[in-house]
Amino acid sequence: MNISAASLAILGGALALAGGLGGAAIGMAMAGYSGVATLAIDPKHLKSVIILAALPMSRVFYGFIILIFVLTTVLPKIYLMPEPGGSGFAVAACGLISAAAFSFSGIYQGHVCSAGISALIKTKGRILTNSIMLAVFVELLAVLGLVFTILSLSLLDLM
Amino acid sequence: MLVDPAALATLGGTISLAGGLVGSSWGMAVAGSAGVAMLAQNPRQRKNVIILASLPMSRVFYSFIILILIVNTVSPSLNAIAEPEGAGFAVLAMGIMASVAFAVSGIYQGSVCAAGIAFLAKTNGKILTNSITLAVFVELVAVLGLVFTIIALNILGLM
Repeated sequence: MNISAASLAILGGALALAGGLGGAAIGMAMAGYSGVATLAIDPKHLKSVIILAALPMSRVFYGFIILIFVLTTVLPKIYLMPEPGGSGFAVAACGLISAAAFSFSGIYQGHVCSAGISALIKTKGRILTNSIMLAVFVELLAVLGLVFTILSLSLLDLM
Repeated sequence: MLVDPAALATLGGTISLAGGLVGSSWGMAVAGSAGVAMLAQNPRQRKNVIILASLPMSRVFYSFIILILIVNTVSPSLNAIAEPEGAGFAVLAMGIMASVAFAVSGIYQGSVCAAGIAFLAKTNGKILTNSITLAVFVELVAVLGLVFTIIALNILGLM
């Protein structure tokens, strides 16, 4: 079977989105378990629980940005390169980096949000700001994964 | 080995359906085992348990939509584009991406529903609305996986 350079690049983009979707689903579910338990005790914290449980969702959109970049910008340029096969494999590798960044940061941001949610009752909701701040540290890794993927695609002259 | 591009595309569709089936059966089983324990304690919660335990079923329909789209719309247009083999591989990559979204979100939505079911007796069924809200966050990932697969197939000119 002859695998074309373009299809390897598309595989990279699809892997990035798959990592984002998986990370977001697991992270939101982690925060969701604690959310259900907290709301069973005190339903007044619904707003804070929804805010904290929705934080890992951004992975999906980062992954989608990478897929769109690969499909619209990288694909037309890949056959202008001196060695299209190597470039296709490079794009697949970049997709793999961002898939790892999105899935791990999504899962573990879910853990941070879950810890924040379970402390909501004890602190009467005051932990919200601080736990968002600590969750943003993990978010930063996903953003850096997105930025470094775009940076390395630019260095490869594919964008 | 020469694999027909239409065969690769159909494989992508069936992989996405397999992911959806696995995700829903696993998720419903996780929610169902919590439901059996809850109904043994308090049989009056049967309606709420059935509602929460059936939430992960939607994956089956989302992934079936993708299989139908690939078999009906994508496969006939594969041979019309410049490089059919690469396009077949691209559809396979999209199918794997959708399959990850459906399987992971189904399994973890089942855990959120199980947490909701476990608190039904303690809260007299009042946790139902809140746990559906938190389960819908995870549902969103599956919906976005469906939508982004369709958008990506559109950008590739296959639909």
